[in-house]
Amino acid sequence: MTSTPLQTSHPADLTPPPSGASTPQSSSGIRRFLASAERRRVLYAFAAAIALFAIGEIVRPGFGSFAGIRAVLVVASFVGLVAAGQFFVILIGGIDLSVPWVLNAAAILVVTSSLGRNAWAVPAGLLTLAMGTMIGALNGVGVGVAVLGVPAVVMTLAMNGILEGLTGGLTCSSCAAYAPPVIQAAVHHPFFGIPAVLFFWAIVIAVVSVVLSLTTFGRATYAIGSNPRASFLAGLPVRAITIGLYALSGFFSALAGITLVGFGGQAALGMGDPYLFQSIAAVVIGGVYILGGRGHYIGVVAGSISLVALVSVLMAVDMPEYGRNIIYGVVILVLLLLYGREAPEA
Amino acid sequence: MTDAGHAALAGAPFIEGIGLSRAYGGVRALHNASLAVLPGEVHALVGENGAGKSTLIKVLGGRVRPDSGEIRLRGTSVSFSGPEAAHRVGVQTVFQELTLLPSLTVAENLFLSREPRSRLTHLIDRRAMGRRAEELLTGMGIDHIDPLAAVEDISLSERQLVEIVRAISHEPDILFLDEPTSSLVEREVVWLFEQIRRLRARGTAMVFTSHRWNEVRSIADRITVFRNGGDVGTFTDISEDDAVSLMTGRHVETLYPPVPALTASAPIALETHHLASAHLHDVSLQLHAGEILGVGGLAGHGHRALFFTLFGADRATSGTITVAGKQVSIRSPHDAMKRGVGIALVPEDRKTEGLLLRMSVRDNMTLAILRGRLSRMGFLRRAEEKRLSSDLSRQLRIKTAGPHIAVGSLSGGNQQKVLLGRWLLAEPRILLLYDVTRGVDVSTKAEIYALIHRLAAEGKAILFYSSDAEELAHLTHRVLVMREGRIAAALEGNAITAEAIVSAAVRDTSPASGRGTHAA
Amino acid sequence: MPPDPAITVAGRPFRRPRWKLLLAQNVGLALAVVMLILSLVIYCVIYVAAQHRLPGNFELTSTVNTTMPLAFASIAQTIVVLTRGIDLSVGGVVDLSNAVAAVKLGDSLGSEILWSLVVLVIGATCGLVNGLLVTLGRLQPILVTLATLSIYQGIAIRVLPQPGGQIPQNYTDAFASITGPWSLLYVIIVGVLWWAFRRSSLGVGVFAIGNDETAASANGVAVRRARILAYVLGGVFSAISGLFLAASATAGDATTGNTYTLTSIVAAVLGGVSLFGGRGNGVGAILGAFISTMIVNILFFAHINPLYQSFYEGLFLVLAVVLVGSVGRLMRKAM
Repeated sequence: MTSTPLQTSHPADLTPPPSGASTPQSSSGIRRFLASAERRRVLYAFAAAIALFAIGEIVRPGFGSFAGIRAVLVVASFVGLVAAGQFFVILIGGIDLSVPWVLNAAAILVVTSSLGRNAWAVPAGLLTLAMGTMIGALNGVGVGVAVLGVPAVVMTLAMNGILEGLTGGLTCSSCAAYAPPVIQAAVHHPFFGIPAVLFFWAIVIAVVSVVLSLTTFGRATYAIGSNPRASFLAGLPVRAITIGLYALSGFFSALAGITLVGFGGQAALGMGDPYLFQSIAAVVIGGVYILGGRGHYIGVVAGSISLVALVSVLMAVDMPEYGRNIIYGVVILVLLLLYGREAPEA
Repeated sequence: MTDAGHAALAGAPFIEGIGLSRAYGGVRALHNASLAVLPGEVHALVGENGAGKSTLIKVLGGRVRPDSGEIRLRGTSVSFSGPEAAHRVGVQTVFQELTLLPSLTVAENLFLSREPRSRLTHLIDRRAMGRRAEELLTGMGIDHIDPLAAVEDISLSERQLVEIVRAISHEPDILFLDEPTSSLVEREVVWLFEQIRRLRARGTAMVFTSHRWNEVRSIADRITVFRNGGDVGTFTDISEDDAVSLMTGRHVETLYPPVPALTASAPIALETHHLASAHLHDVSLQLHAGEILGVGGLAGHGHRALFFTLFGADRATSGTITVAGKQVSIRSPHDAMKRGVGIALVPEDRKTEGLLLRMSVRDNMTLAILRGRLSRMGFLRRAEEKRLSSDLSRQLRIKTAGPHIAVGSLSGGNQQKVLLGRWLLAEPRILLLYDVTRGVDVSTKAEIYALIHRLAAEGKAILFYSSDAEELAHLTHRVLVMREGRIAAALEGNAITAEAIVSAAVRDTSPASGRGTHAA
Repeated sequence: MPPDPAITVAGRPFRRPRWKLLLAQNVGLALAVVMLILSLVIYCVIYVAAQHRLPGNFELTSTVNTTMPLAFASIAQTIVVLTRGIDLSVGGVVDLSNAVAAVKLGDSLGSEILWSLVVLVIGATCGLVNGLLVTLGRLQPILVTLATLSIYQGIAIRVLPQPGGQIPQNYTDAFASITGPWSLLYVIIVGVLWWAFRRSSLGVGVFAIGNDETAASANGVAVRRARILAYVLGGVFSAISGLFLAASATAGDATTGNTYTLTSIVAAVLGGVSLFGGRGNGVGAILGAFISTMIVNILFFAHINPLYQSFYEGLFLVLAVVLVGSVGRLMRKAM
């Protein structure tokens, strides 16, 4: 049983060897693909999303239509962006609790620094992304530098508070409140009936997957997640990569903040709060191993979609808030128990 | 056998293992092994590293369940659900991996789950517990360990003593001791043997493993030899030579190839001056190109610190390291691996410090060259990776179902080859090999010995630590014996014998050195 | 075993002074005491500068009353963290117990006692669910409690959809009296309970699991039982936290408890509890809760914009953790 991340994109392992009959071998290729528990989990996550769309269509006709699916996917893309960052740090057994206020600070920063003007949208966006990346890197320094020895939970929790305080204290109520129209258009503008943000998400999916499977950085990330001590003793720059991954998490939170103000037009205090638990849930539903070393972004994508589809179905049946909370928790537990039934790997 | 023919030898076995087998992943640790322990006897298990002694003790001590086979206690078949179940029927074990809880005190550890209780509240009476721990320790002649110290604040040898005291304090009918002397100096070994004699006089059966032949000789009533996961015979009297050839399955001469000749003019590859780190004091050594320099001594006496400091994994506090005549600064493994330095370290613990068990054989092989040869502008050179790893598999004869297989499913010997292969790909000039034959079968051992000799003949400088003095004696040009973080003796030429290495290691100089080095 | 020092291991006894050993084992607690004293001194200085008099009974009382719910929540968190786990559902249980108390507590003493007990049973049940999922389901504590947090919060909102309800006056007098810092009595009770916990099989088991589960089990510790009970106890203390919160707020709200998930972790860490398990002290966690409150008080009287409050709290948290870690390392090195 292999759990090497690279295998999914490794043609030699998945396609049958050139000689011999093709049918039994391609089925053995599929079997081998499914032999990996984490790949099965990705499939489960997608199956869950499809099932939810089907249920949605039954309870509220039109839910599974093109427009309905599109609406779910757009919301899922925001979760998916935040979850991309969360995914990177969970791959090395970390966690980022600073997601909500990095996102929120980014949303406010991009609005105020651009003054809502198109001309300043690009520099404001770059400034915001740089801010998010820097804050993430600071998290990484706290977690990754052995002398400081701050547990990830404490470091990122404290950073969340620090940003909450800074954002709350520094925000001027009289400043611009609306995102530049160009940023709004970059989220909403449709191509072939599909909003731009979905194309953008597709690019992110491709880039993240390529980085993790085809670069030395990606391989090192999985190695550190599998065994940080052995990776260090093999000469990998564990500290630098840890800092880099937390920086990436900050970057993606900031990116999500920008797209969210583009989507809603306005920034608001507290807008990031739901994304902490959603990002972790999406990563977990996507079959990523919470202690690090295993998982694929495509699974996280499936997790984001099924999570948002679940919430949407519950809204469609007018489930009150308490019911949504309960079902939400129960579904995560059921999936966890389902995944947990997979035989533990050696 | 000084104590052979003990009266208690007669009678039915107290505990008996019959046809026991146990595998870990793809590794067959124990295969159809049997052992019968008579009441009141001291029974030694001898064999190479990885011969199955420790696994047998784990199985009989209830820590590990056998895949097949039977355990009989006083003639009736039993199955232990855990060490606790074994304790209940009078079986105590001191495992090689200590089972003390670091943040709790010595007293709490000694009385864990049988603490003295206050009669009134039925709560644990910590005062009484401290007092009884004190009595227990001093009653057994240990007066330097404070029962109120946390275990994490005492030294490795002190922890070993506490573990032994705890097992004995349960007044077991049978006591298993897995390498109890590996971190003890001579005086502590004398103490332990005194305890063993006392227990034997009381009728307690004891089984212990040791790599030191004179210990086995001085205390054991019977000896069982292990090889390749199984027992190959039980003896009341056997010569060392016979035992060794039984242990290795071949004669010493054929297991260990002749050491390649050393060219007198070989340049110095690695040199240290007064090197010191947390557990290392004032080490100066010279390692020549093509030389195999052995390092020996008791566990916890600074070899690990020496290897890890040279490799930059521990921070040097003073002293210098010179590579090929140039002083270098090594602050991380990455520094040690740099061009112009070229140091590689194969660590002792494959599972925690070496391999990424869930990742593939190929990923594991190429880890050390990931950022070097294998990187083209940050992207993996996958064709190159494939070529290198399949060449390596062929060259080292690594048996796998394919390079994509998780390395954790390989046998111990093949895992070790993957790890060695990783560092061969890095093309180092200096190899630090730390107990690389531990837990490896005999035929792989022979392959590794041949590989080491070949590498030396190619001009690589090799620093070689082994917990097996026999191996050190047969494989190296020179041996440095370490004690308390210092080089205590240097042996050369004919002076290198297993006995000389052991006696230099256990010699006990300072009066209060029972503290040993602190292994925090 | 009869004393028979025929063979002695060490030539002469070498022991470190007892106080050094005890200090090394309780660095976190000692530093929590230091931090609390420091924060009290700074608070008094700033208070005097602002109000031109020393803080009095009112200040002490309100500080104690606002801290009590957090103190109990941090005890709940500590017990679970000691097993090398984490309990994110603390906030959910606080919400649920708060909501039930607000809806059900009647004016009669009998009703108060009955429903308080029911709330504790609810807390224990919540903890039991967590414990069973972690132990028998073999799931990661962080994931289990993340999911149950959502569930418990949902139930709390179902019980009390809008903030409201009524807490009887005598209930408030008993648990959050405004006449004086009488609630400190409960701190003493908890201190005694912790003393007993540390001397019970469960307490030893919890510490043993946090150190090394395999070794603990090898030495006869009932690992599963201890872990499940740790979560149950955590649930009970979270429920007590909710009752104190209801008493001091005199009404219920099914969402105010949410913050206790994170603040309980902060208080435990400030009190010297290691998130890696096996090291920590419940009394330290209570001190950590008081330190947290004192920081808020100091910021208030220093006229710091309340919007910046969490900034300073976060900063202080990181600095405190780095400080505790490095002092601990230095102490061990110096021994």
